[in-house]
Amino acid sequence: MIWKELKEQLIFTDLEAKTYEDVMDQVGEALIKEGYCKDTYKEALKAREAEYPTGLDIDGLGVAIPHTDVSHVNKQGTAIAVLKDPVTFVQMGSDDETTEVRLVFMLAVKEPSTQIDKLQAILAIIQDKETLEKLLEVKNKEEIIEIIKEKEEEN
Amino acid sequence: MKKKVIVACGGAVATSTIAANKIVELCKNNGIDVEICQIRISEIESNLTGASLICTTSNVKRDYGIPLVKGMPFISGIGVEKTEKALLDVLKAE
Repeated sequence: MIWKELKEQLIFTDLEAKTYEDVMDQVGEALIKEGYCKDTYKEALKAREAEYPTGLDIDGLGVAIPHTDVSHVNKQGTAIAVLKDPVTFVQMGSDDETTEVRLVFMLAVKEPSTQIDKLQAILAIIQDKETLEKLLEVKNKEEIIEIIKEKEEEN
Repeated sequence: MKKKVIVACGGAVATSTIAANKIVELCKNNGIDVEICQIRISEIESNLTGASLICTTSNVKRDYGIPLVKGMPFISGIGVEKTEKALLDVLKAE
């Protein structure tokens, strides 16, 4: 479960961004400011995204999971952003197939082997289109945590 | 015989961790003895010895001379069965 770890300082609703770089600057800055990531995180994220894109097309709904090398991370965390307008991301495993993204789960990964439960918890949310649709409708940060809590506690 | 599977992504951080975990489960359920080698794309070349297949969550166009299965469905959750079948086809054939 990840809902207990979600912090409002790392949640954005109605984020205004024109490009994925813009998303990474704004959301990455929050992870740096809250001590999760090092100053190098934002640039590393952008470089990684250009080479290994993280856009996902979940049955017609665009989600992105930007992340980068553990060396830019201090401690494990997840930032969530609902974008005001869609931003184009290239799809994971592709060169030029794009997806229009309004939901971003930015991952600060420190110890992949011990974080498999957290990564799977995030995937369980991403792979559930009903939950994604609910997240796209939120008005405030509390609602995001509430929706994820509901999803995680239903099992 | 133990099968060596290379699981690779950009930084061996998030997506390959998920894919590796799925492959371990899949092999366990199908009685296949597997050894996972979780690495970066750039490290595939030097880890090929003895490997049965490569599963990657990034776009790899190079031919490494062994089967390559795309692991993106393990992340998106879409098309997982097909991917699992492709993996099993290779691992059971040897």
